[in-house]
Formats: sequence, structure tokens, C-alpha cells
Amino acid sequence: MKNFAGYLGRAFITFLQDLSSLYYLFRETVLQSFVLITDRKKLSQARLLAQIDEIGTQSLPLVLAVAALLGVAMTVLISFQLKEVGGYNYIPGLVAVAIFREMGPLITALIVAGRVGAAFTARIGTMKVSEEILALETMAINPVRFLVVQRFIGLLFSLPALTTLASFTAVLGGFLFGSTRLGIRPDTYVRETLDVLTFTDVYSGVIKAGVFAVIIVMVGCYRGLVVEGGAEEVGRATMLSVVSSTLAIIVLDTVMTGAFYG
Amino acid sequence: MIRAHGIKKNYGVRTVLNGIDFVAEQKKITYILGSSGGGKSTLLKILIGALKPDDGQVFFRDMDITKLRGTGLDPFRKKIGMLFQQGALLNSLTVGENISLPIREHTPLDDNIIKIMVKMKLELVGLRDFEDLYPGQLSGGMQKRVALARALALDPEVVFFDEPTSGLDPIVSSVITKLISDLNRVLGITCIVVTHAVEEAMKIANKIVILYKGMVLAEGTPAEIQGSSDPIVQQFITGSPDGPISFHASSRDFREDLLVE
Repeated sequence: MKNFAGYLGRAFITFLQDLSSLYYLFRETVLQSFVLITDRKKLSQARLLAQIDEIGTQSLPLVLAVAALLGVAMTVLISFQLKEVGGYNYIPGLVAVAIFREMGPLITALIVAGRVGAAFTARIGTMKVSEEILALETMAINPVRFLVVQRFIGLLFSLPALTTLASFTAVLGGFLFGSTRLGIRPDTYVRETLDVLTFTDVYSGVIKAGVFAVIIVMVGCYRGLVVEGGAEEVGRATMLSVVSSTLAIIVLDTVMTGAFYG
Repeated sequence: MIRAHGIKKNYGVRTVLNGIDFVAEQKKITYILGSSGGGKSTLLKILIGALKPDDGQVFFRDMDITKLRGTGLDPFRKKIGMLFQQGALLNSLTVGENISLPIREHTPLDDNIIKIMVKMKLELVGLRDFEDLYPGQLSGGMQKRVALARALALDPEVVFFDEPTSGLDPIVSSVITKLISDLNRVLGITCIVVTHAVEEAMKIANKIVILYKGMVLAEGTPAEIQGSSDPIVQQFITGSPDGPISFHASSRDFREDLLVE
């Protein structure tokens, strides 16, 4: 019991230390982002388009495939319940609102955290153990500007765009299933969707995606920057990175949903 | 040029450096020798400002670098170069991009001038045709030479070398040793080399500092070190397995260790 209490205490202290370090990393990242944006020479070196391509374009097929299947699955589940009360007309609106408000941003962020956030940790962690980050510091080059800022800006652009595309694709998946298998007329499906969906539903998803982007970059890069040791530690940090960002995304999603619609 | 005074460093209860004093003179080659795990790399990290000592100072001219933090270290770091043990080249950048990185970062020079500078640095290490390759496509020796070219990118006053020849075949080791000697002789660069390669130190060093148990055991010219009557120094430079330097690193008595409760 005493050991368990000690373990909990140590875990809590580590959590607070991580939180404090994440805050300083975020502050430095924002500061260095301004430095980068205002310096044209450094901006051209930063390869922002390559980052956006790597994060966004390369994640697109996976995100869209999952989103389309999600749209179909949600339509099936909702129709199963509404069939009993003859409420098929409610399906388009329900699916659209649930996807734009909740499922689109959440699923996209979780996919990107697993795919991109983990890659950030693995890459930066490997650079740390092979002394590449120390080499940058020795050359008086700020590692945060060199390694974190471009990923930060890249994901801040990519994730909201990916989320919006994923939400539209999921709604399209629901539309195709609803109009072909449930017998809902296509024009009725579109009209019902547009009647229910509001601009707030769309932009709340985009805002959520922006917050999730910050979480994924900060956690992914931080876990990489604090790696000490060798390959085993890089693997452990990568696992921790995915676990921490997944938890943070789900907690913040609940908080934001409460703030927008509570 | 670089002066270390009373450097102490502990990792937990283990004392790694216990009051290191030495001076590395301008335009000279200083070798810091010591056995593996003897605190050489820790000392090197303190000398370049990457690690803070628990006590003591490191002066670069009159600047105490142990008092500087963050961007305060930048003026010092722009005047030094560092060759890491594994090269520490950025694997996502080509050889040319690696070398041009500090130049682009710290000078207003345009691309054409930078390209010329990169070629000049690569020519210094004999790898002019390798500009467009990635570090992963080079051998270990070539990577070290590229890393040396990068360390020289900003024409530093001092270059630090961490085990520059470890893991290399004898020919490549000789090439690297000759490069260090040439840099000092032709360009007047102050070189501080941390290694356990005694033979190479005896060939080109102006001064040798031997670390033992976290302290300076001996220092002097290669001739003075070779003429030392200290049995520990003699064992170290001859590499003899028998002598006062124990093969066993454990501090506890072996017989006590075997008495399991």
C-alpha cells in the first residue's frame, strides 16, 4: 500500500514536471514561429510545404478511408434504432451533426497522433540519442526552431484541413449508404443534412482540430526531445507519446464539446 | 585560450570529475587522454557548454562559459567547432546541406557564395564530389570527415574532437590524425582532442593531459609524458594489462560480493 502511494506520488510529480516542460516548449515554439515567419531566409529553409505534404497529403488516404467507413457505420447504427419508430428522415441530420461536431475531429486526430505524432517522437528521439540535437546546439542553432516549429506550423495547417475533408467524406459515406441501402431519396438526404447542420458545427470541428494539432506536435516533439539512452528508450518514448496524446485528445475533446454545446 | 579551473561533476553519488585544472593554449594541439569511462566525454561536454559542472569554471579567453545559458552561449559557440564521436550529421540533409547549415544560419551570404564555401570545406577533407549524398550513403570514416568539414564551416578558432579515430581502420585513423595536424599547422586552429588513442597523441600533440579517477594525473609535452616515472602514466601509455590501473571497475570487494545473505 505504501509502495502504491509512493508510486502514485512519483507519477503525479512526473506529470506536473511534464506539464511544466510542455508549457515552456509551447512558449518557445510560438516565439520561434514568429522568428521564422519574420525571417524570409529562414522561412525558405524550413521546408514548410514538405512538412504539410508529409503530414497532410500522406495521411489523406488513410484518414479518408476511415472517415468513409465511419460514416457508413454510423448510418447503419442510427438507422437500426430509428427504423423502430419510422424516423429515417432524421438520419442525415444526426449523422452530419455527430460527424462534424465530434467523430470527424476526434477520429482524424487519433489517426494523426498514431501516425504522425509517433513519427515525430521516433525521429527526434533518434536524433537525440545520436547527438544530432547536441550538434545543432553546438552550432548555435535553436533545436526548437529547427525541429519543432516547422512541424507545429505544418500540422496547424494540415489537421484542420484533414478534419474538414474527413467530415465531408464521412457524411458522403452516410449519404451513399442511406440513399442506396435505406431507400432515402438523395435530394431528401441532402436537404435534411443542410437543414440541420449549422456553421457552428463546422467551425467547432475546425477549432477542435487546431487544439488537437497543438497537442500532437507538443507531445510528440517533447517526448522525442527528452529521450535519454538508446534505441529501447526511443521505442518507449514513442509508445508514451501515442498514449499521452491519445488521452489528452480525448480529455480535451470532452471539455471542448462541453464548452461548445454544454 | 581555453582554461578549465577546478571542474567537478557528480552523477548521483558517483564522482566523475574531481577538480580538473588545465590550459589549452592558442594555436596548439592539446590531447586529453584517459581510460574509457574516465570522464573524458563529460569534460568535453562541459568545455563546449553543453553540461554545467557542479563546481569550477571554464574560460574561453576571459569569458566564463559556465555562467552562460541558452542564447548567451551563442557568441562562444560561433567561434568553436565540434567533431562528435559518431559524426552527428543530420541524416535528413545531404552532405552539402549539413555543411552549409551553420553558414546559412549565421551569415548573410548568398547561395552562390555558400556553395563555394561548402566545396572549399569538402576539399579540405578530400570529399569534394560527395556534396549531394546523404550521410547514410557514406562510410564511417567519410562521415567523420564530413562532420569535420561542418565543424570548420564558420572558420572556428577552436575545434573540439571527441574520440576522432575510434572505430576507424588504421588508414582512415591516420588520415583523420593528419587532418587535425594540418588544421593546426596550416590554419592555426586550436585543437582539443579527447581520446584514448595514445599513439596518435604522441605523434601530433603539443600538450597531453592524462585524466585518472576524475583528476589530472599528468600533463606535459609528449616527451615529458613518455619520460614520466609515474607507474600509472607508464601503464597507460604502454597499454600494459599489469600495473596499478585495475582491470576491475567494481569498488566492492569480490569476496564480500559473493557472500550472499
